[in-house]
Amino acid sequence: RYAGEAKSGILASTEEYKFVEQLISPSRVPFPPKHDGPSPFGWNPPSEVPLALPHMICRSRMHNVPASEKDVKEYLQQLTGKHLPTQVNEVTMTFRVKGHFDTALKEWLVKKGF
Amino acid sequence: MSFTKKPGGKALDILQNLPRITLANLRPEPGTKKAEKKRGRGQHGGNRSGRGHKGERQRGNRPRLGFEGGQTPFYLAIPKYGYNEGHSRRAQYQPLTLNRLQYLIDLGRIDPTQPIDLTQLVNGRGVTIQPQKRDYGVQLVGEGAGIFAAKVNIEVQMASEEAIAAIERNGGIVTTGFYDPRSLAVLCKPVPFFLSGQPIPKRMLPGEDMVPYYTDAANRGYLADPEKIQKARIALAQKYGYVLPDISKDELFHMLFMRKDPRQIFFGLSPGWVVNMTEKKILKPTDDKLLQYYNS
Repeated sequence: RYAGEAKSGILASTEEYKFVEQLISPSRVPFPPKHDGPSPFGWNPPSEVPLALPHMICRSRMHNVPASEKDVKEYLQQLTGKHLPTQVNEVTMTFRVKGHFDTALKEWLVKKGF
Repeated sequence: MSFTKKPGGKALDILQNLPRITLANLRPEPGTKKAEKKRGRGQHGGNRSGRGHKGERQRGNRPRLGFEGGQTPFYLAIPKYGYNEGHSRRAQYQPLTLNRLQYLIDLGRIDPTQPIDLTQLVNGRGVTIQPQKRDYGVQLVGEGAGIFAAKVNIEVQMASEEAIAAIERNGGIVTTGFYDPRSLAVLCKPVPFFLSGQPIPKRMLPGEDMVPYYTDAANRGYLADPEKIQKARIALAQKYGYVLPDISKDELFHMLFMRKDPRQIFFGLSPGWVVNMTEKKILKPTDDKLLQYYNS
């Protein structure tokens, strides 16, 4: 309808599309890169050789360390010298311990090689 | 739990062998349900029914909340002051600690070999930004400066001095850039924006109150003079007591020096372009007036 409409065109190009692809978020959680030993943050990769144990604890989806009931109870008893209340949720395979133990438990699990 | 064959384990086995569950078979755990006290009934609930003896208390005629018997009440005696005035219109910057940044890089959620942008942070689920809630971006906070060990080219909206020092100590580059709310929404969620078919808008310049912040070399503002920024880098190195590494001899030198134009939202994409994701094409305008507007 106005004079410019007939003249103005559009340039199509596919060269700069790679910048758009960089902006798209990945749909799966990425695999952590290889570290030799602990990373600067203090995150330890799981040991390469799977240990022969009755339980297999897999890393959680974000590659963090989860925590098994009996062993944890024994370990915490050695650590604190008391029986600690725990609650097991069989359906979701989780359990809770009363008290602040997360760093101690993480180190212990990492030492065990999970 | 020992190594189980199926989820649920013993509890599910028991459930399968018991008779059908109905209301007649269920009972709450003893001790969970405490009987409520019925007012006006029995020795303890009856007589005055917990209302006390005569007066306004028993008759239910007490004065309003805050009344202090005639003394000027607390809520009127204290003078007003605008502590929270305009709180819903204040700019908010989501904090990003160096601890968190290191964690994200270590777990591979953020790639340090590419310039780190707010889009990359949101894609790696490092921060959650709500542009509709007066969030103006991300601020870099110095917590974790001691353990930070990554060479990155990072662009945030605000940064504390310790954070800038920690990043530059490891040979990285920090820049602070302003995004107006519409550009921020586009930056945080680029894919829905591209699917909407609108041309990439040009980024607006900061408002009057933020211009001094973004033109200051001490904040590594994107509008500041590059020579002053270099001097500020040296001064900061002297202040915090580390040797400033020479970036120009670095292998990732080209990536580290990538910076956005003040009117550009995405790396490599100019304002005015329309992105077609289904056909993987970019459409650029050719009209003079449009080009003049988008390049101004």
